[in-house]
Amino acid sequence: MATRFVLTPNSAEFPASAFPQLTLINRRPTLAFDASTQETCYWSFLAPQGLTGTKTAVISYIMASATSGTVEFEVAVEAITDADATDLDAADSFATVNASGAITVPGTAGYIDQVSVTLTNDDGISAGDYVRLSVSRDADDVTNDTATGDLYLLNVEFRDGA
Amino acid sequence: MAVLPDSDRLRIYRGLMRYWSSLREGVSGILKTDLKAAVDAADQWVEDNSVSYNNALPATFRTNATASQKSILLVAVVLMRFNLDMLKRIFGEVD
Repeated sequence: MATRFVLTPNSAEFPASAFPQLTLINRRPTLAFDASTQETCYWSFLAPQGLTGTKTAVISYIMASATSGTVEFEVAVEAITDADATDLDAADSFATVNASGAITVPGTAGYIDQVSVTLTNDDGISAGDYVRLSVSRDADDVTNDTATGDLYLLNVEFRDGA
Repeated sequence: MAVLPDSDRLRIYRGLMRYWSSLREGVSGILKTDLKAAVDAADQWVEDNSVSYNNALPATFRTNATASQKSILLVAVVLMRFNLDMLKRIFGEVD
């Protein structure tokens, strides 16, 4: 297993609406995901040579105030290969989301938790592809996201099976 | 006055979570469903006890104050007891 990218809050990209706020928590850059509105952000990169095996997103986060309950992440991959028939200036082509399922938050607010989301639906990503990774907190999922208050995303590690 | 529509109760619920998140403070050990149930219960309590509150006010004030003025009076007393900083933000200063 190899780390291919570490995606930070300051390098995130945002949709036109419903995106996490880029903010500082104890001077640490974070993305603040709301507890009731599903918010999304993206990271763009070029798939590196040698990319192989199962791809995984490892999300590091803390909770602002919650000490119980669960959160759920949804991670989607958009991989565009040279000469693909995708009109990038007008359309998105994310594959089906990969859901983390219900993740129990740490019992103390501010304590870090790291969640591994296997990217089973990886849009056929291969070396050289233009890639976007989409990360959401599934805040409107009343079953799997029950924790109150903001979630602060610290970073996302993108791994493959090398 | 009837209880608040659920859309307004949700505005309070979302607002409380955002406010407490900004303070890095919350109610330990509760879930989102617990908070929403508490908002619902508080609104129902206001509905059930509004006549009692009104009758508790001195007659001169009761007959001359508007519902809005009576509500801010109640909020001010509760905040003075439990959250002076919030009361100062409403009034500017409490001396």
